[in-house]
Amino acid sequence: MATASAQRMRTSTRPRGALIDPDGIDLKMVARELEAVADYVTNIKREIGALRANELYRARLPVAHDELGNVVDATQSATNTIMAAAEEILGSAEDDFETYRAFVQDKVTQIFEACSFQDITGQRINKVVDELAQVEKRLSRFAAAVNMRDQAAQVDPEDAAKQARKEALILNGPQTADLAVSQDDIDALFG
Amino acid sequence: MALDLKMPILVVDDYQTMVRIIRNLLKQLGFEDVDDASDGTAALAKLKEKKYGLVISDWNMEPMTGYELLRHVRSDEALRVTPFIMVTAESKTENVIAAKKAGVNNYIVKPFNAQTLKAKIEAVCGS
Repeated sequence: MATASAQRMRTSTRPRGALIDPDGIDLKMVARELEAVADYVTNIKREIGALRANELYRARLPVAHDELGNVVDATQSATNTIMAAAEEILGSAEDDFETYRAFVQDKVTQIFEACSFQDITGQRINKVVDELAQVEKRLSRFAAAVNMRDQAAQVDPEDAAKQARKEALILNGPQTADLAVSQDDIDALFG
Repeated sequence: MALDLKMPILVVDDYQTMVRIIRNLLKQLGFEDVDDASDGTAALAKLKEKKYGLVISDWNMEPMTGYELLRHVRSDEALRVTPFIMVTAESKTENVIAAKKAGVNNYIVKPFNAQTLKAKIEAVCGS
């Protein structure tokens, strides 16, 4: 690239009053090219600053990570509470109706209480969505500003191995309603 | 449809809550002999120790998936006729077709209800 640029400086039409060095290079053009490079570097530095990468990986992404971890824990804890209550109702050998009714009411109350996790997990997930929206906004601005292109050679080997395993073992994960096949369609396949 | 309620069943899932759900549903259906394993490797070890009348397996597990377990079972002379139901969140058509080609007897997408599980067990194991 630099060689081609130097060649252009030598061979381009020299304007009147051009400052030419003994090797035939137009020094004013060199200065303009360097100025353009300096502007580009300044712009990149500004965009890197606007990306605030340190804040992303030190604050925003860890928050998203922690919130999702809390969602998993809260969901699991609530599920365990609900299932334990249901198992106790199913396993009850109480003969006296009034005692059994009081016991079932107590367990059903525990189930209702456990379901309150949904409100909190909803709020936590909304926080994660907000954090990810910020990351997306900054990355897309940065990519556009520096005209960034993805390079296949820079694929993380660990990620590539995971992708290869997913493809080989057909690990697609849960699908959205429009992509998922229904139980009725599956039943039709099995006749 | 008559079911042998004494038949041993192996539930394979890495998510303990799902194992607990399926165990409870099987208990409600009257099955008493239910074991579980947390992935395909652990399941294969159990299948070689005890004769099971049915395997109910998740797909997405590590290190060995349910799909790999199914292929191992179908390629093993001693295990190949073991009835196998896949119970999974993998709900793309390509997954269902791949499982069918590999020899699965039935396929249930999560979330599912007790009636669906019962119907599939009857379809696969009922006499």
